[in-house]
Amino acid sequence: MDKTQNNKAWFLVLPVLVLVAFSAVIPLMTVVNYSVNDTFGDNQFFWAGFEWFEEVLHSERMHAALWRQLLFSAIILAIEVPLGIAVALTMPKRGIWASTCLVLVALPLLIPFNVVGTIWQVFARIDIGLMGATLAALGIDFNIGQSSLDAWIIVVGMDVWHWTSLVVLLSYAGLQSIPEAYYQAGRIDQASRWAVFRYIELPKMKGVLLIAVLLRFMDSFMIYTEPFVVTGGGPGSATTFLSIDLVKMAIGQFDLGPAAAFSIMYFLVILLVSWVFYTVMTNLDKEEEFE
Amino acid sequence: MTSARWTTVYLTTGTAMLALLGALVAATPRDGDAIDWVSPMIAGGWMAWTFPIALFFWVILCLLIGFTLLAIRFPETPRLGVLRIETTRGDRLFISLLGSAFLALGWLFFFGAPLWGALALCLVYAAAVFRWV
Repeated sequence: MDKTQNNKAWFLVLPVLVLVAFSAVIPLMTVVNYSVNDTFGDNQFFWAGFEWFEEVLHSERMHAALWRQLLFSAIILAIEVPLGIAVALTMPKRGIWASTCLVLVALPLLIPFNVVGTIWQVFARIDIGLMGATLAALGIDFNIGQSSLDAWIIVVGMDVWHWTSLVVLLSYAGLQSIPEAYYQAGRIDQASRWAVFRYIELPKMKGVLLIAVLLRFMDSFMIYTEPFVVTGGGPGSATTFLSIDLVKMAIGQFDLGPAAAFSIMYFLVILLVSWVFYTVMTNLDKEEEFE
Repeated sequence: MTSARWTTVYLTTGTAMLALLGALVAATPRDGDAIDWVSPMIAGGWMAWTFPIALFFWVILCLLIGFTLLAIRFPETPRLGVLRIETTRGDRLFISLLGSAFLALGWLFFFGAPLWGALALCLVYAAAVFRWV
């Protein structure tokens, strides 16, 4: 059937375009403008060129925040992905317990970020927190307000608690999609449990695991609310990740120029990762079409 | 559409974009005879927009409009390049622009302003992306 093409329909997109212009494009343009100007607010601007970019690129403070950020992302990925796979492997495949497990596992994902932060902040408190008070009673010195290591343990623990579920759900979905015939073939060949995992389950989970890694990297790279509520970036700047430092710079110190330059670089990294994510996803879809 | 009509479309769009650029230059404040490129175009106006920022977004706008027209006239066909991913013309523009941003940042880090060297590097990079990616 020949469908008539009417490109006038594109005009129906105009309202969304106007809305996006006001909600995204113009704010982004103002950020670009801030990044090349010096301003003290009050609509007073002085041209600065690329000074802020050079300053931020060479700033020790930014380098430190970037390394902390990368370390944080690396640690939570190294914990959450294997742990998520392990939990998914032990979950029942069908029956009432499968649904029960799924609901229980999904619970942390439903909790708002700042509530997760508050839960763990209270959990770690020495006076009333379950973990903090217990450790104190056992004579173990655990204080997230004073020790950087303790603060890191809590922040990483919180992220693992909050987000391993995502990896579990994705891996579980990947596992469920493996046809029973593969396992039967494995049994005929007397494949060990490890061989079944290594040569049947892991290759079949490749796609969902890639999505899990990219999603968790993106989310952890942009993490703000949870560590902000739990440690406020402290002690000192031990848990000051990129976004926390950015907000400190922009709103705390009102250094709008450097903060804007920093935002643009942050945005570029996120854009790059998003593009990789999108490309990998579309290529995965294509591979599946060919299979 | 006939190629004659396409010529009209190109000419009209080109003229409109050049007129916009002319208007931007005309709006840039004068300091005696010389043009003061980095002063706000509207004195006391919101955000104090200056010519370099306007030029930057003008270039982006031109690229978007130009590639849209190209895509209408010569529909994009995906191809497999050195990155082993399928890319269309628009994808290659995106890769060029995003890569150029990182090249410019790298240049700022190692050599500092001005960015003319980085601009040349970006053009070479973009040409390479359009040829091989």
